[in-house]
Amino acid sequence: MKERLLTSAQNLDKVSEAAGKEFSSRAGEMAAQCSRVIADRPDLEQLIGDRKNLDMAVDNNRNFARFMDAMFSDFNADVLVETVIWVFRTYRAHGFNTTYWAANLNIWADTLESELSPETFQAVSPYYKWLIVNIPLFVKLTDLPAEPGDGEAGHAH
Amino acid sequence: MLTETMYQDYLACLIKGDRTRCAETVTSLLDRRVEIKTLYLELFQKSLYDVGLMWEANKISVAREHLATAITESLLSLIYPELFAKEEKTRSVVISCAVNEFHQVGGKIVADFCEIHGWDAYFLGANTPMEQLLGFIDEVRPDLIGLSLSVYFNLPRLKKEIRAIQSNFSRTDLMVGGQAFALGGEKMLSSVANINYVPGLDELEGILAHG
Repeated sequence: MKERLLTSAQNLDKVSEAAGKEFSSRAGEMAAQCSRVIADRPDLEQLIGDRKNLDMAVDNNRNFARFMDAMFSDFNADVLVETVIWVFRTYRAHGFNTTYWAANLNIWADTLESELSPETFQAVSPYYKWLIVNIPLFVKLTDLPAEPGDGEAGHAH
Repeated sequence: MLTETMYQDYLACLIKGDRTRCAETVTSLLDRRVEIKTLYLELFQKSLYDVGLMWEANKISVAREHLATAITESLLSLIYPELFAKEEKTRSVVISCAVNEFHQVGGKIVADFCEIHGWDAYFLGANTPMEQLLGFIDEVRPDLIGLSLSVYFNLPRLKKEIRAIQSNFSRTDLMVGGQAFALGGEKMLSSVANINYVPGLDELEGILAHG
């Protein structure tokens, strides 16, 4: 499963410097906006397991924006796949439902479309689409016990 | 001499916040002349990794994880008599965490380890602003500069910092390490020339011996 993810991630087109810069300049603001949208959802508790996990969800969006910023400036498929596995495993352990990622990533997709220029949106959106399409694989991978090398991406909270 | 039972006892005390008992374990190992590297790798580093895994698995809170880190940082000072017992130090190293990098314990361990190996180490701590770092390097003119990165998403800032250091101090050796590279992100450093990537204390030992 992981090999499939790595192969498809390696096929993602590199983001241009101009698009990366635009994303970078708006990343923090977009993360805050995505957090506001998810916090207002009536099904929030079902998504994140417990209302007290909201800080963690806000952290996740902030870190996610910075992580994607790093990916757009220096893409590395291994780091992308391993980090997403780490995030799924860790957040699920803290009570986040697997439906959280579909909800949150779709919020991101809408936000990117409304906040970025059409060119930058076109450049970065395949990465979010890749994440959305592969949610079932990440769920399956993190249903299994961790393997050596999984989940060592380090965390920030 | 560091048995699994001792380690598990130390880890339990660390999570509980029993600093005194943790300090007793460290002192007792020092008294028994356990190799300092063993303490760093098999006690401090291993326990911090285990604590991180426990947080990830939701077995402990962020507060307990931070408590364990704070206790570990304080325990490092128990090794200081070993650090300063060394003969005159002729080489110097500046160790700093990258901008926006708030995890400093790894960098602190590296700085202490450099001292043990006869280097004069200046540890600048977490989130050192780039201009301040450049100014300090200019002041002390070290033989070696080490940058620590714990979180991968700070990589763009680290690279900016590396470029600034290399353009200002092109003849000073530069090394980079940290947990951020645990998943192979060190390949990213290959686009920047003349950097020693240091995955762990064993490799650091080699650099310090030949530096």
